[in-house]
Amino acid sequence: MNIIEIEGLTFSYPAADKPVLQNISLQVEQGDFLAVVGNNGCGKSTFCKTLNGLIPHFISGDFQGSVQVGGLNTLKSDVGTLACKAGYVYQDFENQIVRPTVLDDASYACLNYAMPDYRERGREALALCGLEGHEEDYVWQLSGGQTHLLALAGAVSLQPDVLILDEPIAQLDPGHADRIYQVLRELNEKHGKTILVIEHHTEYIADYCKHVLLMKDGGIAWKLPTAEALRRVEELEACSIFPPQVTQAANQMRREGRLPQPCLLPTTVEEGKAVFAGFRYLPPARRSEPARRSEPGQGSEPGQRPELGRLAEAASPEAVVRFQDVSVAYRSVKGEDRVVFDRLNLDIHRGEKIAVIGSNGAGKSTLMKLMVGLLKPASGEIFLDGESIRKKKAEDLSLRISLVYQNPEEMFIKDSIQGDISYAMQMRKIPDFAERTSQLLERFQLTALQERDGRLLSGGQMRRASLAIGVALNPGILLLDEPTASLDIATRREIQKTLADLKDVTDTVLIATHDMQLVCDWAERILVLSGGKVLADGSRDEIFGDRRLLETVGIRPPEIFSMGQALDPQALCYTVNEFLENFQEA
Amino acid sequence: METARHKKLSENILDKLSLDFLRNQVLKNAYGNDDTVIARLDPRILLAWYLVLGIVPWFVQDLWFLMGCFLLVLVTTKLARVAGLVLLLFGVGVFSQTGYLFVVSLFFGGDSSTIAPLLVLTLKVATCSLASITVFSGLDPDRLSNGLMWYGCPERLSFSISYAYRILPMLMEEFQNILLSFRMRGNPPLHETFRGKIRYLFYQVKMIMQAFYPLMLNTAKRSRTTVEALEIKGYRYAAVNKTVKKIKLATLRVTYNDLLFLAVSFLWISLSILASTLF
Repeated sequence: MNIIEIEGLTFSYPAADKPVLQNISLQVEQGDFLAVVGNNGCGKSTFCKTLNGLIPHFISGDFQGSVQVGGLNTLKSDVGTLACKAGYVYQDFENQIVRPTVLDDASYACLNYAMPDYRERGREALALCGLEGHEEDYVWQLSGGQTHLLALAGAVSLQPDVLILDEPIAQLDPGHADRIYQVLRELNEKHGKTILVIEHHTEYIADYCKHVLLMKDGGIAWKLPTAEALRRVEELEACSIFPPQVTQAANQMRREGRLPQPCLLPTTVEEGKAVFAGFRYLPPARRSEPARRSEPGQGSEPGQRPELGRLAEAASPEAVVRFQDVSVAYRSVKGEDRVVFDRLNLDIHRGEKIAVIGSNGAGKSTLMKLMVGLLKPASGEIFLDGESIRKKKAEDLSLRISLVYQNPEEMFIKDSIQGDISYAMQMRKIPDFAERTSQLLERFQLTALQERDGRLLSGGQMRRASLAIGVALNPGILLLDEPTASLDIATRREIQKTLADLKDVTDTVLIATHDMQLVCDWAERILVLSGGKVLADGSRDEIFGDRRLLETVGIRPPEIFSMGQALDPQALCYTVNEFLENFQEA
Repeated sequence: METARHKKLSENILDKLSLDFLRNQVLKNAYGNDDTVIARLDPRILLAWYLVLGIVPWFVQDLWFLMGCFLLVLVTTKLARVAGLVLLLFGVGVFSQTGYLFVVSLFFGGDSSTIAPLLVLTLKVATCSLASITVFSGLDPDRLSNGLMWYGCPERLSFSISYAYRILPMLMEEFQNILLSFRMRGNPPLHETFRGKIRYLFYQVKMIMQAFYPLMLNTAKRSRTTVEALEIKGYRYAAVNKTVKKIKLATLRVTYNDLLFLAVSFLWISLSILASTLF
């Protein structure tokens, strides 16, 4: 039975010169788990909003064709009736939560539609979404992942047949992301809900979704079973969607003739095991350098590997930032204060490129705010270039250390990005600020956009602008909080390139992130924060080679790394290229 | 030494007045005391109680009666465990209403006899303020808005009250971050000398004013989703649907405690009236 039937749907926003959605016809079967993919601006979100009647009832425009959801024609039903058929979770889900307590928010829609059992429905939805026990919590006590589950529970409470989620895991750490998808799978398999996700993470699509729908320029290119869809590597890449790394690697090998021509490309690590079974881990290092570490996870002497040797060298000069027994706690509304750091000790040396990882709430942002003097430790000292910053104001430190927020909007304080970039230099009366501003605009490819308000730019452009603002004063230390969060994968890789370029501009850089591909490509030293302490500190081989550590902290390495490990526990490949180089036909 | 301690003190106060602290106090005030005696009372009873204690003192001149009312609301404020900041604001407020009058009258040759009439005024202001504090900050916003709705206030008002409390912490956090942006990128005037301090103060005020513009734009951007989500969640249906109101108000219940509270208040005020007739 088809739960969604769309016939000749064309929609254009008022005053737009061409339609966002063009002649879409589609059937979705009941119980499907469908991933909607496509590049930015291809109309994915607009398409999803036609399913719950927000278009055309709430957002007006030119609407043609027909959309049927659960047997209801969206044109003939109102938003309320449709909300009981199709639930919607936004990408910026925290703005979707309108009530102060968890149970209240989950049952709010049911109350508004005058269902006398609204509380039970809310409770039931919370249980389905794995939030039982949090009913009486206040919404700001929840972690990012829990907040997303609450937004989902709010939609589930109306018991719709269809659930639509717009980029559910864009802002979450891998642990929370897995949790969300497990909940979705349960809703799909046990409770028969039809689920539509707009998703860029093809690894998750491969693991969880049943079908993939590719959208292109407002139309539908195809809808195929997941495995078949993900094997169309070239077509996906043309739409800036990156298939799972395992698939990419196999596709590359097939092109090079290293895999037999009529070969079914693997889409998951499990399938990869069979396809790559004939390959052996033969790193060039093992062939030329005998001193390659033999057993990952075990302690090894520094200097043995080239990477560690470089680190030790960098470590010898002075520490530019030193944390000494730093403790921090946040005031809580009720009861005990929440301790973020408990006697934290850490040295950061000149020239290091450090990635800070750890789950949501592990204290990554707090660490950065402490360094720029925006937050003062409850006890302990922080030294910048050997002097304590306890007495310093954030203003005095800004020439030496600069912080780029996770949310770029909060960095835009002027009405054009050109004004934003030059602001700090102007305030400090730097003589050639105009020239430097245009250089920065050029460097970050923003010259054409310089008169625009930062808030109105696309996600990637906003990030670039915020990076330009961050380096404007030429600080010796640059701190970046989640520079690739809530960006699609193509934009992520673009920012990753910008960050690689930045390596020469700024001496010492610290990035807090969940993006493990960024960590592997970019970082020279990795700090793992957990439970108020630095749980691990080392090179990527030391961190990712330590399976126990990965499990305790819930780090999900890049898929290609897991693939390599599955084939040979000693393999340490972080990128598709390294995999291609290091695995040879036996 | 003395100046050092002085500086410490002023820094300490500035630290206390950080936005982080304000945010925490707002939350504390709204939700941090939901387990107090006052918070468990029925909002309708409490609102009725407030109407009496908030209005009657204005029409009475009797010192004994006013004193009685004042003591009563003092106790209820204590019971409601009101956040420190609100009490501080109350103190500053009362002083700026009447306290300064006493100081001024002393300047112009007044003496202790000026106290009595001023005391009456002060007691009136203080009683009403404390009664308001008890009700509006002792009750959590949801119970308060349900109470108001029972008295016929429009649904939109009661939703606004609880939504304001939902959104306020977010707004303050955002405002804080924008201010931090200004601080990190700005170049404040030196503030070692007295003139420098004045200039620094002006600089900060200017910064706070400038920070509002990005805050408004960011909020506008966020609220797009909120407005759509409210539409999906049937907010507009509820506003016109009588059954919804009935379901919401069904949670309100007058208990034994409410009656006890009313009885004790009534008894106490009767006693103070009795005292005023006796003495």
